[in-house]
Amino acid sequence: MQKLYRRLANRMTFISLVVALAPLYALSAGIYFYFSGIHQEQLKNELRTLAHNRVSAIGLFLDERTSVLEVLAQTSSKEALTKPGALEKVFGLLNRRSWSFLDLGVIDSKGRHLAYVGPYPLEDRNYSEAPWFRHTMLRGTYISDVFLGFRGTPHFVVAVKHSAGSDSWILRATIDSDVFTRLVRSAQLGQRGDSYIVNSAGKYQTPPRFGGDILADCQLCMQSVPRGINVVERVTPDGKHLLTAFAWLSKKDWLLVIDQDPREALGPLILARELELAVLVLASLLIAASIIFLARRMVRRLEEQDRQRSALDAQLAHSGRLVSLGRMAAGVAHEINNPLAAIGELAGLLDDLIDEDFRRNHPHGALFKENLTKIQQHVDRVRSVTHRLLGFARRMEPRLDSVEINQVLTEAFSFLEREAKLKGVEVDLALSQDLPSLQTDRAQLQQVFLNLLNNALDAVEGGGRITLASRREDGEVVVSVADNGPGIPKEVQDSVFDPFFTTKAPGEGTGLGLSISHSIMQKLGGSITFESEPGKGATFFVHIPIS
Amino acid sequence: MSEQAIKVLLVDDEADYLQTLSKRLSMRKLEVYSATSGQEALAELDKHSVDVVVLDVRMPGMDGLEAIKEIKKRFPMLEVIMLTGHADIECSIEGMGCGAFDYLLKPVAIDELLYKIQDAYKVKTLKERKIADLKAAAQERDQHA
Repeated sequence: MQKLYRRLANRMTFISLVVALAPLYALSAGIYFYFSGIHQEQLKNELRTLAHNRVSAIGLFLDERTSVLEVLAQTSSKEALTKPGALEKVFGLLNRRSWSFLDLGVIDSKGRHLAYVGPYPLEDRNYSEAPWFRHTMLRGTYISDVFLGFRGTPHFVVAVKHSAGSDSWILRATIDSDVFTRLVRSAQLGQRGDSYIVNSAGKYQTPPRFGGDILADCQLCMQSVPRGINVVERVTPDGKHLLTAFAWLSKKDWLLVIDQDPREALGPLILARELELAVLVLASLLIAASIIFLARRMVRRLEEQDRQRSALDAQLAHSGRLVSLGRMAAGVAHEINNPLAAIGELAGLLDDLIDEDFRRNHPHGALFKENLTKIQQHVDRVRSVTHRLLGFARRMEPRLDSVEINQVLTEAFSFLEREAKLKGVEVDLALSQDLPSLQTDRAQLQQVFLNLLNNALDAVEGGGRITLASRREDGEVVVSVADNGPGIPKEVQDSVFDPFFTTKAPGEGTGLGLSISHSIMQKLGGSITFESEPGKGATFFVHIPIS
Repeated sequence: MSEQAIKVLLVDDEADYLQTLSKRLSMRKLEVYSATSGQEALAELDKHSVDVVVLDVRMPGMDGLEAIKEIKKRFPMLEVIMLTGHADIECSIEGMGCGAFDYLLKPVAIDELLYKIQDAYKVKTLKERKIADLKAAAQERDQHA
């Protein structure tokens, strides 16, 4: 039974939790994913726009450098620039405007350095074997990848070939790596963002802030990066999550990479997510706690109601049993009474007919007379049983008087006082003096007390003790009759109020006393109960309602 | 008055009981008639003048209660004592309501029944005397007028 209720409580809790929390979670997750999707899309778009702008800016930077050199080559001549001091003048002019050239040189078609201005001693170098030289001679303009070259520091060059008739010469400038790196880094986002350029071979062309030096391998699969501008989420080999924009430069096979730490970029979203989670957890706890509390309380109330109902059912079943037993008893009594009446009258008639003369003179006269008397006595005995039975079945309406309970009790006791003295039983009276007088049936109540006293007297042996007590309890007066006899065995406690149930020797009790008392008390609106511990005695309680 | 035997009609469907009881009551100086059913009882009452009827409430055929009503209708001065083997309080109350004198539970001791019959008879004679007095007074008043 207990298990059943617990299972019910668990099922109620489970279902309520699912019904209450599932929509909450679904809604929260939906809202979160919807907004994070929007937010990420927005971030990607921003990153794409940034990449586009930076690629244009870098392209423009390189274009401008190339254009300056081209204009210089067009408007001047090899001879004019190789004159002593001429190249220095041009270089000074360029750098005064902060064109970020590191050095400037004029190289003839054989690869000889004709003139040079710059911080390195490169005047006599021959570049005929250098890759950029050959590329420039071939294509006219050339922007190199970053390389170490003769000077041993990373740099890249912009070279322009000018042809004057059959003779051609090259104007070459080195770009200040710092200026270029700064330009590239201006695309950097946030504290943990990064931006750098990688060439088609996967080497860093500008130093990244994290994860490598210039010219080191950037560990990107360059073939997999499509043309144009792409924004992807990726995981670096060392496990960092990145939001990255890849943008190829249009004039040069360089890839601009802009990394963004998504945690930083998504910072507000993550904060919102954590807030939402916290609210969700708190709400879940509150909902769960209240559901568990309510379910437990409901089930406990249900259990209480069930218990009360089953107690009521048992009581109803018991009174139903008493009623049907009573009906049966009345039927039996009726069937017995008619022949019994005939027997009684027949014996009576014979008794009437036996006169003094017959009794004296007939050989069995005395025996006749004696046996007829005995028949009548036994008829009387059966009659007393059937009449009591009928009294039990009879639904007598109680006659209400103003009754002093203590008085009725002492009266009942006085009837049996002599018998108690003879038996050597001590009777104690413990009567409360502040009992109200009750509206109830005095005679019937007295019968109940007499029955209980009689039973108690029968139960105790000589030297036993009986205690009669009355007290006021909320809304009722309780009279108790306690004895210290053998008590009522557990197995018969359920049937003590059944008609004909008796533990007395055959012929000594009809087994009707308690059942009659029980039905009387029910009629009077009260009840009769008992407590008994086998071996220690029994106490019967008569509850009489006040009012 | 005491010299005159009380005339009693016993009505019961139990023949043994009926015969024995009537014999015993006869031995106690009562004039006893007997009937085994309600119809028979009414027939007997038509034939004889009777003071008290002792009637079993539970009988096959005409119910005891109907019998009381019928008897009281036809012979209002008769007293009826109900006998019952059953603790049928409703039945008894209804019987009393129909004008029965009293009721007794079967088996009833012969003396108890006898006393009850004598009581009923006394009540009956008292009533009759009162009615006779009233009649006399009425007559007297008529003569004066």
